[in-house]
Amino acid sequence: MNVTPVPIAKHVPLRRWFVARKPSARSLVFGLTLITVSYLVLVPLLMLLYASVKSTEDKLPFESTVTTLSNYTAVFTSSSTLPIFLNTLFFTAGSLFIGLPLAILLAWLLERTVIPGRAWIANLILVPMTIPSLLSAIAWIQLLDPRIGLVNIVLRSALGMTGDTGPFDIYSLYGMCFVQGLRLVPSAYLMIAASFRAMDPSLEEQSAMAGRGVAQTTLRVTLPIMRPALLAALIYFIVVVIESFDIPGLLGFTARIRVLSTAIYWATHSEVGLPDYGLASALGTIVLAAALLLMWNYQRLTAHQERFATITGKGYRPRQLSLGVWAVPATVLCVFYIFVAVLLPFVMLLWTSVQPFYAAPSAESLGRMSFESYYKIWQESSVVRALWNTMVLALVTSIATILLAVLVSWFVVRRRRQTDGLAHYLATVSFLPQCVPSIVIGLAFIFVYVRFPVPIYGTLWIIALAMTTRYLAFSSRTTTSALMQVHGELEEASQMAGAPWTRTLRRVTMPLLAPAIINVFLWVAVHAMQELSMALMLYNPDTVVVSTMIWSMWQNGRTADAAVLGVLLTGLSALLLVGGHVLWSRRHSNS
Amino acid sequence: MVPASFEFIASLSVIGVRDLVKTFPGARGEVRALRGVSFEVEKGELFTLLGPSGCGKTTTLRCVAGLEQPLSGEIRINDRIVFNAADRVFIPPEQRRIGMVFQSYAIWPHMTVYQNVAYPLTSDVSRKEIGGRVAAILERLGLGPLGDRLAPNLSGGQQQRVALARALVAQPQVLLLDEPLSNLDAKLREQMRFELKALQESFKITTVYVTHDQEEALALSDRIGLMHEGTLLEVGAPVELYLRPAHKITADFLGNANFIPAHVDGHEKQLGAEMLVATPLGNFVAQRGEWQVGVPAQLFFRPEYVDLLDDADGAVNGLNRGSGVVERVSFLGNSADVIIRCGEIALHARAHPARLPAVGKRVCFHVAPSSCIVFAG
Repeated sequence: MNVTPVPIAKHVPLRRWFVARKPSARSLVFGLTLITVSYLVLVPLLMLLYASVKSTEDKLPFESTVTTLSNYTAVFTSSSTLPIFLNTLFFTAGSLFIGLPLAILLAWLLERTVIPGRAWIANLILVPMTIPSLLSAIAWIQLLDPRIGLVNIVLRSALGMTGDTGPFDIYSLYGMCFVQGLRLVPSAYLMIAASFRAMDPSLEEQSAMAGRGVAQTTLRVTLPIMRPALLAALIYFIVVVIESFDIPGLLGFTARIRVLSTAIYWATHSEVGLPDYGLASALGTIVLAAALLLMWNYQRLTAHQERFATITGKGYRPRQLSLGVWAVPATVLCVFYIFVAVLLPFVMLLWTSVQPFYAAPSAESLGRMSFESYYKIWQESSVVRALWNTMVLALVTSIATILLAVLVSWFVVRRRRQTDGLAHYLATVSFLPQCVPSIVIGLAFIFVYVRFPVPIYGTLWIIALAMTTRYLAFSSRTTTSALMQVHGELEEASQMAGAPWTRTLRRVTMPLLAPAIINVFLWVAVHAMQELSMALMLYNPDTVVVSTMIWSMWQNGRTADAAVLGVLLTGLSALLLVGGHVLWSRRHSNS
Repeated sequence: MVPASFEFIASLSVIGVRDLVKTFPGARGEVRALRGVSFEVEKGELFTLLGPSGCGKTTTLRCVAGLEQPLSGEIRINDRIVFNAADRVFIPPEQRRIGMVFQSYAIWPHMTVYQNVAYPLTSDVSRKEIGGRVAAILERLGLGPLGDRLAPNLSGGQQQRVALARALVAQPQVLLLDEPLSNLDAKLREQMRFELKALQESFKITTVYVTHDQEEALALSDRIGLMHEGTLLEVGAPVELYLRPAHKITADFLGNANFIPAHVDGHEKQLGAEMLVATPLGNFVAQRGEWQVGVPAQLFFRPEYVDLLDDADGAVNGLNRGSGVVERVSFLGNSADVIIRCGEIALHARAHPARLPAVGKRVCFHVAPSSCIVFAG
């Protein structure tokens, strides 16, 4: 035969791995990414743990020399902390009890039944996402304040009730649950509708072929299949509610009801005494532990799902049920929901912003309507500064987050065998902030930077850094799944064409990730603009942003001004989202 | 740097691969994907790595490209060592000056055809020259009017040409093709096969071609290297490999084969043949093969070398002859696949479509000694 005889090497040592080059740009950037992510995520968390066994009342961790567990014993034995846990429990359970069934029902109606006006309803459900939750709390106060709330006034006169309060009281745990529950619906709807869409309808059809009716099929096939997805949604939103600050902060302030997240804030911003960093960090550690445990379960539940989703990315054409006579009540229900949860608070917000002081709509107050606040507000230099700061913050945070997220996901997805362990570490650490409530990140960042040689305490950058840390989890998740859809050969083709790693990243990978990058950019920008708790922990008069401005205006009774700023913020968010959408669809139609 | 082996460097081949070992992490420890693969590719030659999926052919190609780093061995392109495990040499793919066409074509969807093809040039060539060279290669591949199109708006065949143009535009020393035709439909595949060959010959570019399609390999290659479970089993020209395989695996993988259990009786000097084997079909003389007297062996011949004789010819008895009943005839268009039942054995034969034997009829057949090979085992 024609086999060319080739001399065989005497002994070739088997090396598990070797680096034959001087550090390439790629390994350099990998190292930098590892360090940055570790620094951003781990240092604050370790600092929080350290603080929880160090600080005592009114002392920062560095000022105290004793190591003590007294902070924890105080939390668990003090009579003042027990109500916090009970309130958190009630608040979480109540919000989910209101929000999730509503979201499931809406998702089922819109995904699985033939309902008139489907597209309209589906879009309107999402509208509250552009309104900061701080503002929906303010709007609901205008509607359900026991004395001057519009709904209460209308109900009192309609039912012929005497007295000048009730029937509803927003300043209660029930009120908090109601507002928070409604607040969950848009994002829960999105998540649940997606799993309805991902479900293979032939599984249901098979049950129909076996002679089962709609009810039987729903009970014995649809729900069991959906169970992991619903359970995952439940866990996810438990964490969301525990983390929620704006609504319990605003409503609970008046009602003197504290949950874990607001308790951490008030422990460090006490109205009466000195800040208790020990209590705050112990509470923060406890919330963190609970969230970690929950997210770990969430991960376990969704790990399988995600793998499944990447294989069958095809859209199924779902089986849609004809509702028959039920179509009318179903539509009425949807329209009622949209009226109550979307339209009413939004209109109320607008109304409040054009009133010099709050008054329920009446002929008299209609006469007082003026856009004066919209002009006057600009004369306040702090408002201009807050708007400017907010824009800078949104821009800086979203750019920093995107850059970091793209790098993280690149090193995670295109991992090499030799660095498999490091890539796994990177994936885990970058997802960790998902389990860290914003208020806890804010607290931890105080500990890191108040004494740290990096002089960013009291600047806008510390807020940007905290937000980058918090939003890295979502962002890197999104870019990771986008990158997994990009065939590795597209990048290898660039390498074979002689392009070094940086050029491949710039000319091939980034452009191919453009849709995900734009999405993440908008998501982070809008969240950064509306975020309250991290900003509240870290701002000072120079670095005031719109959300903290609204918070302090509200506390000072400047309701109309708060509403004006709220309307501006909502408009800005909507503009960004709609603008991004238009930009994207134009680009899409070009190709 | 001291070359690992002097003879190796002195040879005239363009690609030299020696003792390549590559492992992948598997469910139970390391999986040896390549177990010492060595071959050389001469200048201007089209060398095909052929084998079933999982045999290591794509891994070998990716090692040559630099997209995978082998555990040990050496890879040389022209007189440059691009990989040597012992000396810790690894030249990254972007510095190897290799053109490559991927199985998925990997056309960048966000760039036009022109941008795709110009991509390998932008670093050291003037703008004007880039334009000229891209236009020339697009023209050469019949893509002239498509320069402004975006990749998603191209047909499969056009995408394949764009991938080729992109691989060739920088005038690389070596072209690597990873199953480039497997994503095309049957008709287009056949057409592209000839175009590819013509193109490769006119560019006189040294090419390594990976495929699992034996027909493709036979039609295109100057030489074929047959891979099996991480080793390069045998290397040879297509005709040689097809007609005179040295291994049973090669015989089995290339084309269709009949294997008849046999044992070797001895030499038949009279017929000028090398060996006589006894089979259930009768005694056969084979011109080639490995054998040991008394040890079980297998007689191999291809269906198309089975001559079906008219019954009238009679002479059933005699060397290299047998008879059986036609069990099934599958009409394939340009020929028919005939299965002849001879007791335990179902023999495959090819019949001319104009002379299809009737099912159930007894037929006699003859296989020339020159078409018979005996394999041990």
